[in-house]
Parts: sequence; C-alpha cells; structure tokens
Amino acid sequence: MDGDRGLGSTEFAAAEKELVAEVLAGRVERFYELVKPCERLVFITAQEILQNEADAEEVAQEAVLKAFRNLRLFRGESKFSTWLYRITVNEARMRLRKRREVSLDELMEADGAEETTYAPLQLADWREIPGQALEQRELQTQLAAAVASLPDNYREVLVLRDINGLSIAETAEALSLSLPNVKTRLLRARLMLRDSFIAQCSGSTRGAVGKGRK
Amino acid sequence: MISLSCEEVWRQISDYIDDDVTPGTRRLLEAHFAQCRHCAALVDSVHNVVVLVADERVFTLPAGFSERLRQRLELQISGKRSDGS
Repeated sequence: MDGDRGLGSTEFAAAEKELVAEVLAGRVERFYELVKPCERLVFITAQEILQNEADAEEVAQEAVLKAFRNLRLFRGESKFSTWLYRITVNEARMRLRKRREVSLDELMEADGAEETTYAPLQLADWREIPGQALEQRELQTQLAAAVASLPDNYREVLVLRDINGLSIAETAEALSLSLPNVKTRLLRARLMLRDSFIAQCSGSTRGAVGKGRK
Repeated sequence: MISLSCEEVWRQISDYIDDDVTPGTRRLLEAHFAQCRHCAALVDSVHNVVVLVADERVFTLPAGFSERLRQRLELQISGKRSDGS
C-alpha cells in the first residue's frame, strides 16, 4: 500500500510547479486548478477534525483562501496538496480550540502515554467486509462513527494517512510531527479504529457484516 | 528461530500493513500469523478497515461544496484585482 495514489509523481510535480508559477505571474483564475484535485480531501480533513459539517466547509474555504493569499510562501518542496492540508489542519485546530476553549497544549497532549499496552478485541472470526457492503448507508455511517470516536491526535494522523492517502513523510509534514511519532499514532489509531468499528457493527448490524454474508 | 510474542506482533502491525518492515521481521511476523489465529485475524481486520476507510463512498463532499468554494475564491480574486494590485 503505497501512500502516493497520484499520477506519475515527477510529471505531476512539474505540472504543479508550472501552474503555481503561472498563478503567481498573474493568471490567478487558474488557482482553482491547483485546488480542485484535493478539495474533497481538504473538506474531509476539516470535517474529521471538527466533526461538524458547517464548520468544516467554512474552514475548508478559509484554508483555500489562505493558500491563495500566501501562495508566494509555498516553496514547492512538498506537494501543493500537502501544504494545503497543513493549512487546513491548522485552521481546523484553531477553530476547534475556539469552540472548546481549551489550550493548544491540551489539544496536542504529549505522546508519553501512548506506549501503554493494547489488548485487541478477541474476535477471531471477524475477518473481512466485502467492498460491495459499503453500498449500505449504515456501514458507511458506522465507519464514519468509528473514525469520529478516535481521540483528536490519532484521528488527525489517520485522516491524512489512511483516508487522504498521504505517505508517512507527508503526514509528518502536514502535522509538524516526527516520523516515529506519526507511526506510533498511526498504529494506535488503526487498532482503535478496528476495535471501534467492530463494536459499532456488532452493536447494530449483525446481519450486514457477519460471516453469513457472502 | 526466535519467535515473537503477540504483543510484539501488535506493535508491528501498522508497519507490516504499510510494508515498512525488514524481510527478517516480515518472516517472523508471518511465522507468528501462521500459528496464532487471533493475531492473523487482527492483522486481516485492521488491514480491511484501513482499506474500507479509504473508500471514496465513505466520506463525501456536501452537495454544492465545489460551487460555493469557487464562488468564494472568485470573490477573493476579483477583490484582489480591483485593489489594483
């Protein structure tokens, strides 16, 4: 599973660089072409951090406008999308902080406690949900609820890495975290997501997910 | 051959899914999965959830999102132009 699901990455980077240069040279109407490929994931990033659709849309718009106003600061060392996700994460965190009126330190609590032992739910027969089962609205809702149940710092990593498909390095960059830190959080996030999802499923849709389904 | 405990296996599951383990570790993990149905089920189900969560049908854009975004962007752009900058 490679994190980079994009086009041929060197050609993509070259095209992107050219587009950035054009916008900076005055063809500002082309800015949206930079945003379009990642607008869905910008919204999802905001949505998964904030857990509120109206706030998420506003934050996504703010992030895009901020990227537009600050395009000169984009160095091109990373992908435009990674840079935009980083702005989005920061905007969403600020909004969250305002909403909760807690300090940022509290929000990004230390990772010291993350080495605690984990005991997975023992469900040896729960192996696979066929992709087509996702046509069911209920399963989508449960999966979203499982993601929503994760603590903030794990959810951020999971959203960027597993939902948006960033590499570990890009995730680290977007969140200003070290690589080992991203990996530790990702491990915890994935294990918790799995447990939470199983709990959601066994709570209400035995029939939809269980072994009986082909 | 040294074998891994279940706890040691859990710590590696994420890296294993990302194919970010050495060939030696991979062999140890797979030897463990062959013997331990709980860990084998765990790695399969974690992998499965990671695949599901990436599915585009799970997280979608609200209707009209793109249009509203473009409108706001255009407002910003025309504002910038009329500033004479």
